[in-house]
Order: sequence, then structure tokens, then C-alpha cells
Amino acid sequence: MELFTPEFGLVFWMFVSFAILFFILARFAWPYILKSIDERAKMIDEGVEKTRQAEESLANAKLIAERYEKEAIARQTEILREADRMKTQIIEEARSQASVEAKKVMDAAQVSIEQMRKEAEARMRDEVSTLAIDIATKVVRQQMADNEAQSRLVNTLLDEISEN
Amino acid sequence: MKRLIIYISILLIAALMAIGYVRTEVPEGSKVNPTEIIFEHLGDAYGWELPFNHDLRIPLPIIIRAEDGSWHCFSSSRVAHGAVYDRFAIGGEGSAYKGKVVELRADGTEYRPFDFSITKNVAALIVTVIIVSWIFLSLARYYRRNGMKAPRKFKGAVEALVDFIYVGIVKPMLKEKASKFAPYLMTVFMFVFVANLLGLVVIFPGGANLTGNIAITMVLALFTFFMTNVFGTKHYWKDIFWPDVPLWLKFPIPIMPVIEVFGVFTKPAALTVRLFANMMGGHMIVIVLTLLIFIFAAMNIWVGAATSVVSILFSVFMLLIDVLVSFIQAFVFTMLSTLFISLAQEGGHHEEAIKE
Repeated sequence: MELFTPEFGLVFWMFVSFAILFFILARFAWPYILKSIDERAKMIDEGVEKTRQAEESLANAKLIAERYEKEAIARQTEILREADRMKTQIIEEARSQASVEAKKVMDAAQVSIEQMRKEAEARMRDEVSTLAIDIATKVVRQQMADNEAQSRLVNTLLDEISEN
Repeated sequence: MKRLIIYISILLIAALMAIGYVRTEVPEGSKVNPTEIIFEHLGDAYGWELPFNHDLRIPLPIIIRAEDGSWHCFSSSRVAHGAVYDRFAIGGEGSAYKGKVVELRADGTEYRPFDFSITKNVAALIVTVIIVSWIFLSLARYYRRNGMKAPRKFKGAVEALVDFIYVGIVKPMLKEKASKFAPYLMTVFMFVFVANLLGLVVIFPGGANLTGNIAITMVLALFTFFMTNVFGTKHYWKDIFWPDVPLWLKFPIPIMPVIEVFGVFTKPAALTVRLFANMMGGHMIVIVLTLLIFIFAAMNIWVGAATSVVSILFSVFMLLIDVLVSFIQAFVFTMLSTLFISLAQEGGHHEEAIKE
């Protein structure tokens, strides 16, 4: 059958034409086309990957931000609590210090009062004794006007000494 | 609904026109010879038929080497309609070389010279080559100018097709060797696809049954055959002559090697016949469906009219199927070529796995 026997001329021309087509396209067309397609595919893949990463990091960032916020709030309350505690502590300290100070002042005052009292007492005692001596002197001077009395006294004193 | 009515009325008008045509063109007594018409349309020809006129043809150059070794080149119009130019003519009825240019010897016998004529198929081949190279050179130029920017419209569609084949078949099958064989495989696909589609265009510059010609598919298959075997790895050759089968299968009677060697040659044969038969079959069905009108019209005009409606419907359907087939066959041819090449590119992974 004619259809099943390849015609030599057609085989020849087909070989030549296809070889030419192949060399033209392989030299001037396919490298550029396939390179562009490959590069674009690569770029798209990378872009998708980058987008995914960006989304991930964004979500991460959000999480981190949330965590920071929570932490900040926690810290804030803690700080406030601490401040409150410190305030009361300071007040307490101040109060106790004040009372100590006051006590000290009071003690000092007491001491000085005691001292002054003692001093006054001593002075008074001095004065009283001086006064007493004066009075006694005066009394003695009046009573010892006579010698008898004098000698009696001396005797009495001597008795006392000897008794001792 | 309104549209459907319009379509049906168009079909009816077409059918009526067909009747008119049958009446004028097929006079009483003349017989339609379906076989002749079918083979004329499927086969090659000197000169390219113009639409609506069986006799008017675009002349194409005939280039032949005569018996005495001299070269002759003349227009096909000189030997049209049985004319004899110099001592060359086209073999007529009863000739051993029917439809081919023959040299008439002095004693009346015919000699078939070496025929390098630009026949209808060769012209269609050249048209296809020009169209394919124009499409892809322009696409390449676009990329060189615009870098990675995606093309739009026609170029975008072409790129989608390229992407479909390159990323769909070539890359996954050949992997890192894809860039080495991609130019060939892409060229094969685009050539076959464009040739298939051009074959479906009824008028010039289409209509040639190019991929339905065994010479064309044979050359394509031979290219794949050479690509497969020239670049075949050591492992590929070892698998053919000393495959991993029990010893008695390859020695002393080399059963498996013989089968494998046979397989090397059946692969391109399968490629050749598959594409050729599919495309020829598609063309043949459409022609037969069209011829049915004339065959039935010769019996009875009304039967012919009825047949024409059915035939046209079926022809349109078949042509649409053929558009699909054009793509599928180009795809299958490329896929099988890629498969054969990739099988010959296989390294010793398989073997290593067994050793481990």
C-alpha cells in the first residue's frame, strides 16, 4: 500500500527541515524560553516561601508582642505592689525611727532632768547644810556663850568618840 | 432555544446547498470513486489544491534525478492532467507508480527517478517549520527584551503550552538532564502539534496530511531513536546485552538480550505507527463522512440530503475530536520520546540497590 511506504523524497526533506528547525530553535529560542520559565518558577517558589516565612514571623512577632504586653502588665502590677509595699515599709521605718528618736530624746531629757534634779538636790542639800551650819553656828554661838556648856559639849563628844 | 433554532436552520440551509451542489456537480451516470478520493486526500500530491476547485492547483517545483544522472527541475503545472513534459509524466491508472512522477523510457516502460520534489507535504512541512520557528523565535525575543515578565495573549498561551510540556513531562522524567534534551523534545512537540493542527485546516496553507504520513513520523521516531541510543548510558547498554535476569535466560541462548535488542527497534516503530495511524485515521473519518453524502446522493437525492445533515454534524464533531487528538498525539509522542530517552539515561541506581 502506498500509504505505508515512506517516500524517499519526503524522508529527505523531513530530515533536512526538522534538523534545521531543531538547530534554529535549540540555538536561538529554547535556551532563552526555558531559562526564563525556570527562573520565573524559581522566583515564584522563592516568593511563596518568603511570604510563608514572613507570615510566620509576623505571627511570631504578634505572639511575642502579646507576651511582652502581658509581661509588661504583670511587671507593672508587681512594681505597683512593690511600691506600695515600699511605701508602707518606709512609713513604718520612719515611724519606728521617729519613735526611737523620740525615745532617745525623751531619755536624754529624762537623764538631764534627773541630773538637774540631782544637781538641784545637791545644791539644795549644800545650801540646806550651809544654812543648817549657819543656824547651828548661830545656835551654838548663843549656847556656847558660857564655858560650862562648852566643856559639857566637849565631854559629850569625847564620850561618843570613846564609845565608838 | 432561539439559538438552537438558528443553528438548526443554518444546518438545513447547508443541507439544501449540498443538494444543489450534488445536482450540478454529479451528473447522471458518473460514479463517485470513494477509494480514489480518500487516498488522494490522504496521500501526497504535486501541486496544492485550491478550495472549491478540483483542477486549480498551486504549482510546486518538481526536482528529480533522471536515469541518466541528469537533474531536472520544473513546475508541477507542466505535468498536470496527464501532460508529458520533456520525458516526464505523472503515472496514471494502471501504472506501477500511480500518482508519482515517472520517466518514460523509449521502449514505453516507466522509470521512477529519484524524487526530491517539493510536493504538497514538503511544502506543508516548510510552512510548519516557518510557523513553528516564527512563534518560538518571537517568544525568545520577547524574553530577551522583557526578562522574566510573563507574556500576555498569544505568547502567553504559547508559554502555557511550553510550560505544560516542559514542567509536566520533560522535567519530572529527565530531572537534572532535562536541560540537555528539552530543546529536542520541545521542538518535537511543537512541530507535531502545529503540523497536526495545520492538517485540520482544510484550505491552503493547511490540509496536507503531514503527520498522517509515515515518512514524517518515521523520521521523527528515528530522531528519538538516535537521541536515545547515542546518549544512552553504559548502564542502558548493559541492561540490553546483560540484563539482571537468571543466567539461563541470557546464556548460552541469549533469550533476554535478543528481546531487549528487538525492543530497541520496536520503540521507534511504535512511535512511528502510533502518530501516523492516529492522524491518518482522523483525516480518513472526516473524508469518509463527507463522501457518504455523495455516495447516498448518487442513489437518491433525498437520502443524500438527509445524510448530509448527519454527515455534517458528525464531521464537525470528528473535527473537534481531531483538534483534541492533535494535542493528545503530540503530547503522547513527546511523552514517549521523553520516556525512552530517560530510560536510556538511567544510571546504576537500580543495580546498586540490589547489591546493597
